[in-house]
Amino acid sequence: MSVQDKYETVIGLEVHAQLLTETKMFCSCRNHFGSEPNTLICPVCTGQPGSLPVVNRRAIELGVRAALALNCQINERSVFARKNYFYPDLPKGYQISQYEAPFSQHGHLFVTLKSGDVRKIGVTRAHFEEDAGKSSHVGTGSLVNLNRAGVPLVEIVSEPDMRNSHEAGQYLRTVRSLLRYAEVCDGNMEEGSFRCDANISVRLKGAKEFGTKVELKNINSFRYVERAIDFEIERQIQLIEKGEKITQQTRSWDPAKNVTELMREKENAHDYRYFPDPDLAVLVIDEPWRKSIESSMPELPRAIRERFKETFGLSDYDAGVLTAEKELAKFYESVVKGSANAKMSANWVMNELLGKLNANGQSIEQSPISADDLGALVAKVVSNEISGKMAKMVFEEMFDSGKSAASIIQQKGLSQISDTDSLEPIVKAVVQKNPTQVADYLGGKDKLLGFFVGQVMKETKGQANPATLNEIVKKVLEGERK
Amino acid sequence: MSLQKLTISELLDAYSRRTLKPSEVVQSYLNVLAKSNPTLNAVLQVDTQRSLARAKQLDSRESEIAKLPLYGVPIVIKDNILVEGWQATAGSKILENYRSPYTATCVERLENAGAVVIGKANCDEFAMGSSNEHSAYGAVKNPWDISRVPGGSSGGSAAAVAAQMCLASLGSDTGGSIRQPASLCGVVGLKPTYGRVSRYGVIAYASSLDQVGPLARNVWDASRVFEVMAGCDGHDSTTSAQTVPRYTELLKTASMKNVVVGVARDWLEGVEGEVKKTFDESLELMVSAGAKLVDVTLPSSKHALATYYIIAPCEASSNLARFDGIHYGFRSQQKSSLNDLYCLSRGEAIGAEVKLRIMLGTYALSSGYYDAYYLKANRVRSLIQKDFEKAFTQCSVMAIPTSPTTAFVMGEKSDDPIQMYLSDIFTLPINLAGIPGISVPCGKDKAGLPIGLQFIGKHFDEATLLNTAHSYEKVRGQWDLPQLGVV
Amino acid sequence: MISTEDVLRIASLARLSLTENEVVLYQKHLGRVLDYIKDLESVDTLGVGLATHVPTDSVAFREDKAVDSHLAAALIKLAPEHEAGHFIVPAVMDADQ
Repeated sequence: MSVQDKYETVIGLEVHAQLLTETKMFCSCRNHFGSEPNTLICPVCTGQPGSLPVVNRRAIELGVRAALALNCQINERSVFARKNYFYPDLPKGYQISQYEAPFSQHGHLFVTLKSGDVRKIGVTRAHFEEDAGKSSHVGTGSLVNLNRAGVPLVEIVSEPDMRNSHEAGQYLRTVRSLLRYAEVCDGNMEEGSFRCDANISVRLKGAKEFGTKVELKNINSFRYVERAIDFEIERQIQLIEKGEKITQQTRSWDPAKNVTELMREKENAHDYRYFPDPDLAVLVIDEPWRKSIESSMPELPRAIRERFKETFGLSDYDAGVLTAEKELAKFYESVVKGSANAKMSANWVMNELLGKLNANGQSIEQSPISADDLGALVAKVVSNEISGKMAKMVFEEMFDSGKSAASIIQQKGLSQISDTDSLEPIVKAVVQKNPTQVADYLGGKDKLLGFFVGQVMKETKGQANPATLNEIVKKVLEGERK
Repeated sequence: MSLQKLTISELLDAYSRRTLKPSEVVQSYLNVLAKSNPTLNAVLQVDTQRSLARAKQLDSRESEIAKLPLYGVPIVIKDNILVEGWQATAGSKILENYRSPYTATCVERLENAGAVVIGKANCDEFAMGSSNEHSAYGAVKNPWDISRVPGGSSGGSAAAVAAQMCLASLGSDTGGSIRQPASLCGVVGLKPTYGRVSRYGVIAYASSLDQVGPLARNVWDASRVFEVMAGCDGHDSTTSAQTVPRYTELLKTASMKNVVVGVARDWLEGVEGEVKKTFDESLELMVSAGAKLVDVTLPSSKHALATYYIIAPCEASSNLARFDGIHYGFRSQQKSSLNDLYCLSRGEAIGAEVKLRIMLGTYALSSGYYDAYYLKANRVRSLIQKDFEKAFTQCSVMAIPTSPTTAFVMGEKSDDPIQMYLSDIFTLPINLAGIPGISVPCGKDKAGLPIGLQFIGKHFDEATLLNTAHSYEKVRGQWDLPQLGVV
Repeated sequence: MISTEDVLRIASLARLSLTENEVVLYQKHLGRVLDYIKDLESVDTLGVGLATHVPTDSVAFREDKAVDSHLAAALIKLAPEHEAGHFIVPAVMDADQ
């Protein structure tokens, strides 16, 4: 048994997701990434004397959607609270958040692991808060940009239910997917609209108490979530093996050095002096409002999966693959629309397209072939305009050139020849040229059918419709039987 | 020229008869201000050019007088209320060079109605004080006796009205800061129901208690200023959506007859001397005009001071965290780390009383103390609110002295914070309950110092409150402001 | 009633630098006020709900429509130190979140 096997890991994750509103949480400044520094600011989000917060109704709706997508209970009454601390990117000297009375609790989601197992992970709570500005370091000083200050966030806290980095990674991917499906967050880790902190502790297997937990911040990309967590687990195990104690601390992942580094010890932890914000009323999300938000919710993966199975006759597995990402499900449905054949569309999307995209490290949004174009291609196979084999060639060309199926087929004269009037003369010509084979065939060598089919195929540069061709050859040959 | 003797209603009348123009009135008031202010220190900033330019603009808009209910009325704004282009120091060094980037909703409404801002009034630092001795820009003197305090924190606003440097002023009231100085300066001061007037642009002290209100020479004038600025504001989600009555219209039919006035005898315990005597005389006057007196009790009001001095400092400690030397205001020149920057900027530029309250609030909110202090105080606040609800089932207004004393001598109450806090014993509970209160001059003590009578009303029932106060004025008779040898 | 350590701890939380004299002064005044406030301990608040202050008919929400404040440039200029559109502070030692 390896050292690692002695230990059990406990992981909890906190996600901060920026909501897709037009304006900030408490003021009417635009909620937009990438603008010139300090251009999306006003007296409220810069904490000018005398300024006051006013809640963005749309932010509440999106937050409730997020919580519903995570199967959380919505609390009818919740309270905005001030979290007090000093930091340059926090102009009021406090962040408006929710503390003792969050707007939602007791949720869960289902995470599919690569083994195929499905695990249920609990969501403790989700609450609203406003984002802080950004500081960047320059020499002996820091520059502060308040464009991001006040952007609406929903903070989602998981139960400490995850036991390894894979589960944690899959949980994050699932949360991200759900939030994108619900159209509340674009899930862009690189731009900071979807951020994650992990709380990691280890303990000897069978131990009743949890180990000391370490907070891991600055996990900025899906590429290294698992790596960062694994490193930290390893670090803790090694310390314990050496007989050292794990101290409660906050660490940061350094993607360049591939290590977690100490940010601060928890003894210097803040006393946030939370109290209900007196500038804001109790947040009331009554039943009628909650119901209307529920009914305006975009379709979530589960429902889409069931629908795909029922309407399109897809297998559970296929439906699962095609709903892994919202954009993929949308893509697939458009292909079905264009081709009118759900099963064939599924094969083309999963086997041909996704295969190539994965090999290139591309996402479905980056597909050079549009859903409409792929649908048109599949439709041509369905209608026998081209053969399946031909279609694969066309597909490759479409992928590389971005051109439509129709234009490629036309350009290369690839249309499948299916009509008898075009094929029969060619068949007859081949039959004329090969009297020995005709005689052998009629004499009982049935396999020679393939010879004649092959010859016609050569003549037609592979464009003859194989099924039709087979029939015509048989017919012509029989016609030779005198 | 007895231009300064005109009340707002008389001035508006003169304007409509074209016997006066805003530019001459504003110039005249600026002259008085220039003469009296060096002694009184009531006003911190004057901008003659700006005020006169505005007044001249109004001169040419005389055809619109009917639509401008405060046409050409010179007003002074407490320096914790933002007016674009003017300073807003809140009486503190930490905002010494701060120029307001925007205008508070309450002031915007007054300006849109034709009022002319002629100065920013001195005040206790961040509105914390009852004597205006805690300003970083020097104490304000009481126009009735310059060795005495004008009250606070809106001491400058009250003194400016009493000294006839303006026709009305805006103050803010968190624990009595409009009413108590109004009482000590012999003018009218109104604290509206919480949520009646927008706090947007008012530098926050205690967010659940702060309200902006007018100080003026009489109830009609105060009502006019009030009705113009009151009402829902999209920038302040604690404002009520209720429509604002035309209070000055309602005053026309105001009467004391059959008004049931509640008097809380338990609350009055300990009040003595001339304040008590004058109060009793005022009650008699009201009865003679047809009012009925009824005894009510407010058993929890004796806890109001302790309750207030937990809740207000807690909220203040958070509200004042934004004064950190980073985004605006004073920054310490000492080269330092970030942490030092905060501590030195705030340490150097914030005054003693404010620091005390920030620390009190920080302590009461800190880990382990929150339940015992903040939560507890909020429950007691609930009891105080219920007391008033119950009392108001028996009466439609209540009456109490505004302040237990008349203006005290400068420095008299500086040694013990609690002694100073006791000045607000009759005003604090009203803020905690969120109900409206108005102070009206009702007499003078032997030294000739004004005594104030406070009327207290039900939530959003300023109409009854103002009507009663206005009727009282009529039965009380003429009230003269001090002559300072400059008018 | 309140120790010097407490005074220093609170001053640090509140980011207030105090001179030695101030520490003594505040210890005295804080103690005095805290003593007075202790009075509340004896008030019976069993079963009493928390006070509310916001009017029940307040308009709690705002529509999600962007409005340019046109104050961005003016707001930066209010900063004691600013450059190229940024607020400037001494280096942040540890990211306090």
